[in-house]
Amino acid sequence: MSDFLSAYSIQNWLESCPQGYLVDTEYGHRPGEREPELLLTNELLHEETLRATVQLVVGERCALAASSGLINAAPDEGSKRFLATQTVDEARHVEIFTQRLYDLGVAKAELESTIAAYANPNLVKFAEVLLEKVDRKDFVAGVVGQNIVLEGMAFSVFEMMHAMNADMNPKFAHTLTGTIADERRHVGFGENRIGALIRSEPERRPAIERMQKEMSYYMLATFADAFRNNAAADEFRRVERELTGGTHAARWQGVDLAQMEPEAMEEVLADTVLKEFKVRLGRIGLEYQTPVRP
Amino acid sequence: MSPPAASSASIAEVHVEVPPPPGMRDPLEQLADGETRARRRYVLTDTGFDEVPKAFRKFYRRWGGESDVLEPNEVLCPVCKVVIRSSRELRVGDRVYCMPCMSRLVVVRGANGLEGRTVF
Repeated sequence: MSDFLSAYSIQNWLESCPQGYLVDTEYGHRPGEREPELLLTNELLHEETLRATVQLVVGERCALAASSGLINAAPDEGSKRFLATQTVDEARHVEIFTQRLYDLGVAKAELESTIAAYANPNLVKFAEVLLEKVDRKDFVAGVVGQNIVLEGMAFSVFEMMHAMNADMNPKFAHTLTGTIADERRHVGFGENRIGALIRSEPERRPAIERMQKEMSYYMLATFADAFRNNAAADEFRRVERELTGGTHAARWQGVDLAQMEPEAMEEVLADTVLKEFKVRLGRIGLEYQTPVRP
Repeated sequence: MSPPAASSASIAEVHVEVPPPPGMRDPLEQLADGETRARRRYVLTDTGFDEVPKAFRKFYRRWGGESDVLEPNEVLCPVCKVVIRSSRELRVGDRVYCMPCMSRLVVVRGANGLEGRTVF
């Protein structure tokens, strides 16, 4: 066990992250990269991009509050150190996605009102379920909620967004690349630390499984709000065709997202995330609870 | 008629026969049917994976999705979906470490070949 926890060192984090994949980046992307002009000038696309970015800021603010709140609840020094590095990662994510809002033209004085206007109420509920566990200093439930449910969701969402933006918006795709690399460590910590702890506290399982079910419902409701009746979806597709002649492909999970209707994309994303939850929870000895579909 | 030539090694792969010391046999060298053969050795090169300290980067590469065919010295980390690469051929029972997500894995046989299984 001591060897396992010794991997969670600040030195390891320094060499992997700031001295690794973040070298020479600026707010997570390459210096000088800019948002595509159309996202700034096309009213429909601009508003939808703001809305999507606000959800990222809300999710990352939740992750920042959770990872920092769990430091003092952690039962060992290795976990505290790891959560300290995760706290910096999450603060960086909040900063780079907030910077994207500024790059999209949001004035600093209007940041909070913009976030309040676009934040999805279901995503806020999702965050509240998790932060209630963190406030109670419940380390095991907090890490499952944060590092397996929230981070597992973020891992898939970021990968999907990366596939959709790799050709059309390199600046945002590069920003996502670094966050995906961060998520690898976060989900790894969730599985490895809790996989060991949950065996010594089997009585905790039912309550944690209920939390997963509740968080999963609010996650699916957030996806539903984002994809269904999305007024900008047709406009995004029209612009893509105009720019690429219809040749653009965005491969992810064996499908071409560029050719899919929003409802079909929602289904692929929801199925991918829930399948990952089931597999990850199974590995650490928890039974996945199927959420109600909104 | 001359016998067929032994399998030729590519630039990235060097096959080294290492006979065991008398009386000793690595159990990992024992195949399921009792046959034994030395593990193939591989020369690893940097694949551009930059999520671990420099000294360890050659041991990992990004996964290309379901269509990505793994080499005999590679195994997929089920936790973070990074391909772990060894300098020797991997076999069932081997233990490998995924530095990007800090998972310890044991190599098992899955439906599509060798897979990593987490060890807590």
